[in-house]
Amino acid sequence: MKKASTLVALTIAAAMALTACGGGDKSSSDSSTKAEDTATATAQATDTAGDTATTDEQTPADDNANTGETTEIKLWLAGGDTNDDLRAYLKDTFEAQNPGYSLKIETIDWGDLVAKLTTSMPDPATTPDVVEVGNTQSPTFTNVGAFLDISDMYEELGGAKLLQSFVEVGEVDGKNYTLPYYFGSRYMFYRVDVWAEAGLEVPTTLDEFNERVVALTKANPKGVKDFSGFFIGGQDWRNGISWIFANGGELAKKEGDQWVSTLSDPNTIKGLEQLQTLQLEASMAPADAKDQSPWLYINDSDQVTEDSGDVTETSLAAGTIMAPGWAHWSIGDAVENEDGTVAREWNPEKFGVFVLPGNDGKPAPVFAGGSNIGISAASQHPEQAKNLMRIIFSAEFQQMMGGAGLGPANSDYVSSLGSDEFAQALIDSALNSKLTPAAPGWATVEAQGVLEEFFQKVSEGGDIAALAAEYDEIITPLLNG
Amino acid sequence: MSMTPSQGAAAVSATAGQAADGARRPAGGGTSGGPTSGSGTPARKRPRRFHFTPYLLITPAVAALLLALAYPVGWQFATSLKEYGLKQQFGQPAEFVGLDNYVTIITTNATWMVLVRSVLFCLINAFLTVAIGTALATLMSAVPKGPRLVLQIALLLAWAMPVVAVMTVWNWLFDWFHGTINWALVEAGADGFWHHQWLAKPLSFYLVATIIIVWMSVPFVAFSIYAGLTQISGEVLEAAQIDGAGWWRRFTGIVMPMVRPVLAIVTLLQIIWDLRVFSQIRMLQDRGGLPSETDLLGTYIYREGVGSSHFGMAAAMSVFVLLITVIASSPYVRSLLKEDQA
Amino acid sequence: MTTQTATTPSGTAGTAGTAAPAAATRRKPRTARFYLNRAGRAALSLIAIVIGLIWVFPVYWMINSAFLSNATLSASTPTFLPFGGSLNNFRQVLQHGNFGAALRMSLIVTLTTVVIVLLFAFLAALAISRYKFRGRKSFVLAVLFIQMLPAEGLFLAQHSMMKELGLLNSWLGVTIIYVAAVVPFTVWMLRGFVAGVPADLEEAAMVDGLSRTKAFFRITFPLLAPGLVASGVYAFLQAWNEFTVAFVLLDSDKKTLPLWLRGFIQQSSQQEIDWGQVMAASTLVAVPVIIFFLIVQGRMTSGLVAGAVKG
Repeated sequence: MKKASTLVALTIAAAMALTACGGGDKSSSDSSTKAEDTATATAQATDTAGDTATTDEQTPADDNANTGETTEIKLWLAGGDTNDDLRAYLKDTFEAQNPGYSLKIETIDWGDLVAKLTTSMPDPATTPDVVEVGNTQSPTFTNVGAFLDISDMYEELGGAKLLQSFVEVGEVDGKNYTLPYYFGSRYMFYRVDVWAEAGLEVPTTLDEFNERVVALTKANPKGVKDFSGFFIGGQDWRNGISWIFANGGELAKKEGDQWVSTLSDPNTIKGLEQLQTLQLEASMAPADAKDQSPWLYINDSDQVTEDSGDVTETSLAAGTIMAPGWAHWSIGDAVENEDGTVAREWNPEKFGVFVLPGNDGKPAPVFAGGSNIGISAASQHPEQAKNLMRIIFSAEFQQMMGGAGLGPANSDYVSSLGSDEFAQALIDSALNSKLTPAAPGWATVEAQGVLEEFFQKVSEGGDIAALAAEYDEIITPLLNG
Repeated sequence: MSMTPSQGAAAVSATAGQAADGARRPAGGGTSGGPTSGSGTPARKRPRRFHFTPYLLITPAVAALLLALAYPVGWQFATSLKEYGLKQQFGQPAEFVGLDNYVTIITTNATWMVLVRSVLFCLINAFLTVAIGTALATLMSAVPKGPRLVLQIALLLAWAMPVVAVMTVWNWLFDWFHGTINWALVEAGADGFWHHQWLAKPLSFYLVATIIIVWMSVPFVAFSIYAGLTQISGEVLEAAQIDGAGWWRRFTGIVMPMVRPVLAIVTLLQIIWDLRVFSQIRMLQDRGGLPSETDLLGTYIYREGVGSSHFGMAAAMSVFVLLITVIASSPYVRSLLKEDQA
Repeated sequence: MTTQTATTPSGTAGTAGTAAPAAATRRKPRTARFYLNRAGRAALSLIAIVIGLIWVFPVYWMINSAFLSNATLSASTPTFLPFGGSLNNFRQVLQHGNFGAALRMSLIVTLTTVVIVLLFAFLAALAISRYKFRGRKSFVLAVLFIQMLPAEGLFLAQHSMMKELGLLNSWLGVTIIYVAAVVPFTVWMLRGFVAGVPADLEEAAMVDGLSRTKAFFRITFPLLAPGLVASGVYAFLQAWNEFTVAFVLLDSDKKTLPLWLRGFIQQSSQQEIDWGQVMAASTLVAVPVIIFFLIVQGRMTSGLVAGAVKG
């Protein structure tokens, strides 16, 4: 009796499975009924536009020809890097040039981007029209056909002047699917005063850098407990790979049509050995720290006086950090704004920047941050999406990007970044920057946190050759999807 | 009057059961499962002939469950038999691979490691939660109103905290650089905790996770069991005390048997919930630790599914976990059902 | 009313139950207490208060920090009292994204979920505790097993299902999923309460000439109030806190509060994490729950009393 009812319960579940099988096939139909899909899309659009619009019935398929409504074009931007001015410009310009269409810009947090793209991009009813995607995530999506082939626009949007390493990660079989949106790159922020007190000068080669940050750690001129001459988190592979690249190493390469992980390559190993030394002798960062906010540790031991008169101290912990250029907004002396918030004011007597030097006189190749942008293959309004792309790659918008501190995709407009030390460092470091492999499974490697793991184990003093062999085994199958 | 403590306890416990039943409360009935059970009485009276009413009554709940779950659960079963990745999600046909995904799961070492870790983690957490919850409930019933209210309000506030807020606060308390816990430990003389990295080592990671999860879950358990305790008559305990039963005797002899039904259901729920723990682990992993060493079933499935886009595999994994949970809990469920029997 | 129902049994037990021992030392009738001497009592009281303070510390810490500036918070010595604090963090936080819209979304989803869940679960609980019927046990089992489903693998299917139903990015879609997620446990919980209300009372009322429905609403329903409150609290917490389903089904302009908070934290951590603001944001998300708890608090503890026993 008891067993029987257990069975019944499980059968209910099984029945659910069977009914759903039928339903599943229906839902994955490849939009043979396009009109219907468009209708849903419009319904969706109106539903989001009107706040309380609870239209149960689908709007008729004939779009907005005879009503005064506009059709919405959706642009997804990742994170908050594209500032409000840039967004306003895109919206105003697009709507002025495309009567009858409106532009809706949505922000997707970086951490949520892959999941959101996975659920929303395949379907015409839910897909955004134009999508920003992390440069390292691009191959994963272009390889499965998520993006529209825009090879015909390539020349028009900038052609060879576009940042080629980014163009490559947006290419499949010689066709362009995504193009560079902006680049950023990483350089060094250091404590001018601390380095000077230790009697050290800014390094001009990688070897000098490696030696001096260790010397700085030992000197510890300010007597800070657990002082890091160079602060780099154990899991921070995005900064750490610079040492691999600078020694001529690679993370992976393509052999025939298969990607192979190359952590065991002698050059890669050499870079990892240098990094391990830095981790052990110059950095007191946690073994499980990622590249999040290292600038916290370079700011001074300020005395902050509260309204109450209480004096509190914040602590200095590092002499040098490596961070994306915009970190400079978070570095400096603490000053209190009128509204009571505390901001950082750059003080050139205390803080400086330099580009990680290579051993060949050029800047070391660092990880090229940034993103790509493309049109969803499922977009119902490819023409308007293309118009939007034209605006994004226009001279004016490219220069606005530079003005906002984002490296413009088109090399003609790099000068718009300005000429201060940050712009100079950004341009210099970007010149020689490198991307992660354009393998279809790269996003998986990142999502699984495999590199974080590998780098943490290296940073803890593990046997590099053995670890490299172990993780090559793990990474290679992931790379090929 | 010369009963041994245990006899005395048994005797009073029986009377208490009858007394509760006299008041038509379910408490006594639940334990004895006898013919005087509160739930049994009406249920036995009812069925004269076939009734539509009960079916009508469960229809909304069943409909809601079918509406929200039938398709996703069905999809999951179906997908678990397919090779289904990002390509398939973007429209390419999904190949039927039979039980391949399941075979891969069963033959992957990581699965078993995650499974063992999850079960251990779940049992330890459920045990701690229930034990501490029971202790606090007992404490509540032993102290005067003032201290009781302090404790109850503290637990209520902890219970009211949204998970995301909880994780943010705890992450910060355990932060290596500015964390209050490190600061307090150093102040207390444990210098080794200066800049201590709590999440870097798996065991320490699980310790932090356990503290957080127990902290969050204890209020529910404590209130439920306190509720059970308030139904035990004070006189019964007094009587036992007069008979010379020490507090431990009174606790194990009278209190425990009386709250056993609550304890049973609360424990089962804790085990189910702790086995599926997800958000807390995921948010801790965002801050530190190594995924491969700290994954529990929830995050493992999520990483397989969202992270690697191996949706077929993730689906198979989910079904596998469901089966394991059902099998593992079936003895428990059976005993619950026995008590439910009218 | 509610406290009465909760304490009735012990009162009855006092009179109907054990004769001799109880009579020997009859003080005022009270619920279960361990009778300890004065010193033991005081020691336990102290322990209770200390544990209470430890337990509430993270909550206190969140609220305390919400009033302090980031500079104060990043000091190497923590500040334990919000003296000299300000509302700046709250002001800053409220400018981020659309807190008002997220609050409204959360309230709509949560309250709808609570109401629907209570209604559906109550009806189902009535069925399984008052009637014997074919399939009853399967239903009870299914309700238990559904709670064991790992939810992490379901999101793709939930997304495509809601898309087909046209409920993507709408509060209704999320609500449907939440109802299904909460109903099983609530049925289980309410079952105990319904069983606890004597059917005889209802029948007696019917004999007195009330219709079945009237008898139910006049007699049974008020006795169930604590149970409904306890279940409602559970449903409220679940729906209020959930964020994975909400993340999958809702676009960024329809965020619920947990998503809003998560977005805020993610954005903040890309720059210098401003713990003061993050704590202020967390406090804002927690406050509605605390208010809700305070409103129902009295009823809830007594509700848990009655319900949990049957479990």
